[in-house]
Amino acid sequence: MEITRRSFLKRTALSGVAAAAVLTKTNQVMAQSAADSEWATVINVDKCDGCTHLDTPLCTLACRSKNEHNFPVPEKPIVDYWPQKKHEDWSEQKNLTNRLTPYNWTYVQNLVVEYNGQKKKVHLPRRCMHCENPPCSTLCPFGVNDKTPAGPVVIDSQGCFGGAKCRDVCPWHIPQRQAGVGLYRKVAPDYVGGGVMYKCDMCYDLLESGREPACVSACPRGAITFGPKEEMLRYARQWVQKNNGHIYGDTENGGTLTYYISTVSFDAINKAIMSQDMDQKPGKIHMSTDIKNPLDEPAGIAQGMVIAPLAGLMAAGLSAYQIMKGDDSDENNAS
Amino acid sequence: MKIMRHNLAIRFTHWVTALSILVLFFSGFGQMPIYKRYYVDQLPGLGWSSDFLITLHIHYWAAAMLIFVVFYYAAYLSITKKWDIIPKKGDLRESMQIFAAILGLAEEPDSDKYLAEQRLAFVVTALSILVLIVTGIIKVYKNLPGNYLPPEVVFWTAQIHNLFTVILLLTIIAHLGAFLIKANRPLVASMFTGWISADYVRQRHGKWWSKLNLDLTDEQIDIPLSASAEENREVI
Repeated sequence: MEITRRSFLKRTALSGVAAAAVLTKTNQVMAQSAADSEWATVINVDKCDGCTHLDTPLCTLACRSKNEHNFPVPEKPIVDYWPQKKHEDWSEQKNLTNRLTPYNWTYVQNLVVEYNGQKKKVHLPRRCMHCENPPCSTLCPFGVNDKTPAGPVVIDSQGCFGGAKCRDVCPWHIPQRQAGVGLYRKVAPDYVGGGVMYKCDMCYDLLESGREPACVSACPRGAITFGPKEEMLRYARQWVQKNNGHIYGDTENGGTLTYYISTVSFDAINKAIMSQDMDQKPGKIHMSTDIKNPLDEPAGIAQGMVIAPLAGLMAAGLSAYQIMKGDDSDENNAS
Repeated sequence: MKIMRHNLAIRFTHWVTALSILVLFFSGFGQMPIYKRYYVDQLPGLGWSSDFLITLHIHYWAAAMLIFVVFYYAAYLSITKKWDIIPKKGDLRESMQIFAAILGLAEEPDSDKYLAEQRLAFVVTALSILVLIVTGIIKVYKNLPGNYLPPEVVFWTAQIHNLFTVILLLTIIAHLGAFLIKANRPLVASMFTGWISADYVRQRHGKWWSKLNLDLTDEQIDIPLSASAEENREVI
């Protein structure tokens, strides 16, 4: 937590904007400085009813219509990822709304969860968590997946090669791949790359123009709250305390910018997800509460790396001393 | 008769560099999603190769080893002031002449301890390694929790790191390719043992030979270095 807070302060200090921007309510226009401070969302699981009276939840619909112009338009026929005999093509299933796909960046998972001896209906809007130290972004081999100072993690679809490494290293395997589009087609489409990765970008363009994400405005029950990170975190924690509830996303993977709050425990929710709705294909997301950031351990090694130059200098000093002293028996030119 | 060409410090530098770079190449290419796609992780004992975090750890450790040896070598050079490997004026022209000699179009010039082309190759390799270390450090910094770098910096760091990986790979291929040329082969053994035959030095490294200023008779020079040195002399 300490690091997260420090990084937040650093970023806000960098942008020169106070974090204490006014907490915005639905449809309220945000301050012009929106994209300069770090933003977060609170998803109140108790409030979300999954819009079960409708065909598609309104947050999902809003996300789709807002992002439609960014959806992939693959050129066919799409070649396989040689030597594998497959490629990932969702373009024939654009209408799927019950999972993540390149054409569906948020979905609501409907569950029946057993908790405290009772069966309870739970509805979970799922999408990118926008991590504080996102492995998808830091480990992108082409540096085209950015953690922006405002918080959103944004994939540059122009530069993405579609290797899907980001999906592999994401603890929730969020980014989804569409083959047949993007830069790889211009290089060696048979042998390297695989398309472009797509996921929620927290409606980064809306944030830049001072508006809130589409899913937030669209929710008829006000289940998604949007605002400055610190404020959202405080609100989520207070809610949890008051309602004897649970929070998810504040510490997972080293901290994210999405805080689920619920009176049903997330362990129980995850158990229900695993037993009811995981089909072993990407795009359905677990809610495991035991998620450590995969970059924590390399961070330890990195700190150890500082010793390397010093050790090199010391060893050189020793070698040079021996040579100059004439101890190095094989230093003599001839024998 | 044999002459010490590479002392222990140099052999240590060379082989630690070689080992760390080999590991860095394998673990670095493993940062791209290719080992799974191309079934490298199906090979016996390489199941771990498609795990990005395992290869990342290996990359960090090998990078630490490379940084260690770079500092070691830089300090060694500055303390001992053995600048033989640093390019001199006219090296480019002299390299051309050596290539022409290989093709039988010219006479090979008398060389110092290192050939002009070796000195030039050293600079290209060393600079590539330095660029890779600097961009690598930026990438490591970026990976540390709580650190932020602007997207342009992240993008260009990644591109430069990738580009110089290719350049370094090409210099290493050229380095190994040099041993296709028979005249260079005695140097292979010298990087393991340190020794090279006096005859080779006299024939090919005339300038170094005169600097060594050895008062030797032809018979002394012709004493074989070892069993394999006989072949070496035939090559020369």
